[in-house]
Amino acid sequence: MKEAMNLSLRLALICAVAALALSQVASFTAEPIAAAEYAAKMEAVIAVLPAHDNDPGVDAVDLDARTYYPAMKDGAVEGWAFRGVTELGYSGEIEVMIGVDAAGAIEGMRILRHAETPGLGSNYADPAMLADFFGGKSYGATDWRMSKDGGDIDAVTGATVTGRALADAVQSALKQFAEDLPRLKVGKVDA
Amino acid sequence: MSLVSIFSKGIWKENPVLRLMLGLCPVLAVTTSVENGLGMGLASTFVLIMSNLIVSLLRNFIPKKVRIPAYIVVIASFVTVVDLVMHGFFYELHKSLGLFIPLIVVNCIILGRAEAFASRNSVVHSLADGLGMGLGFTLSLMVLGGLREVLGSGTLLGWPIMGPSFPPFLVMILPPGAFLGLGFLLAGMNKLEERRAIRAGEAYEPPQEMDCGNCVLCKMDPE
Repeated sequence: MKEAMNLSLRLALICAVAALALSQVASFTAEPIAAAEYAAKMEAVIAVLPAHDNDPGVDAVDLDARTYYPAMKDGAVEGWAFRGVTELGYSGEIEVMIGVDAAGAIEGMRILRHAETPGLGSNYADPAMLADFFGGKSYGATDWRMSKDGGDIDAVTGATVTGRALADAVQSALKQFAEDLPRLKVGKVDA
Repeated sequence: MSLVSIFSKGIWKENPVLRLMLGLCPVLAVTTSVENGLGMGLASTFVLIMSNLIVSLLRNFIPKKVRIPAYIVVIASFVTVVDLVMHGFFYELHKSLGLFIPLIVVNCIILGRAEAFASRNSVVHSLADGLGMGLGFTLSLMVLGGLREVLGSGTLLGWPIMGPSFPPFLVMILPPGAFLGLGFLLAGMNKLEERRAIRAGEAYEPPQEMDCGNCVLCKMDPE
């Protein structure tokens, strides 16, 4: 009994010290982690938007669970950036950031998160390649199937599944955006 | 044993990956490039040194019967520290190493050194052991990562070095490439060791009994 007490107390002491130390580290790193996450997201947002003179992060509009980042020039909205997600990837979910111009055509695109095969599906992470395949496409005027299925979207050789998944992410995000667009109002317009 | 030989045994004679065959999960999983190998190696080295330090400091305080849970608490705490700090300050690296950072907790090199070395040696010796083992681990990961990156993507540290006419062997950056690469490295290591032994006039014994039951943890006396 005495031994059991001794063992438990010593182990509990070690755990308590560890917990205390970890809580210190966690509170110390909480801010840098949030800042790094935000910076990574905004980097993608700014990369996909047309030229603008506002801060899309500050002017972001939250609609239901979705966030839209506006690009504005001289107070007029020039385009929007928003997230698209699909579960059809070759290995799990793919998350993209899509930017459209005022007419709704795709201005730029970045992959935020994916687990596709390195060297095949992962080739899509190259922004130039994404621009090649998806740049200028808009929701109504595009057949969202792969070109080998008779549609408008080209694919990387050997990575058709990833291409289909991306087309799905883009198409559904653009569809949602088209539905949301009438309700999107930028709160602060500093013109 | 002198400090220098405690430090240097981890790099060659008792290299954790290529000699002791410990911690192979991260070795196989993250070595798709030199950079990933270096990041994983340094993160593990930090945890190894810190856990050796604490376990050695507390070696008379931790009761033998609960030593494994105590070691795991120490190791898991330092891994969490690495995870949080890396997330905040090395965001890109954290993203590419992903899940494998928390999994350093179950890297058996770290528990193995705590049990086999730090719990029965002085603080200074334990630090030297942790540093040597950590560097040996890091070097192995970088060599394997370099081999796979050069053959699998035609680049080294992200720079193209194989020329435009080189078709990358995709398999090398896929999971099977990890096994192929590690197999060739182990074979090369054994060959070198055989040559050394013959030159020194010793009888060469190929590594054997590498199965699970013979790893350092199971060989420990329980009491």
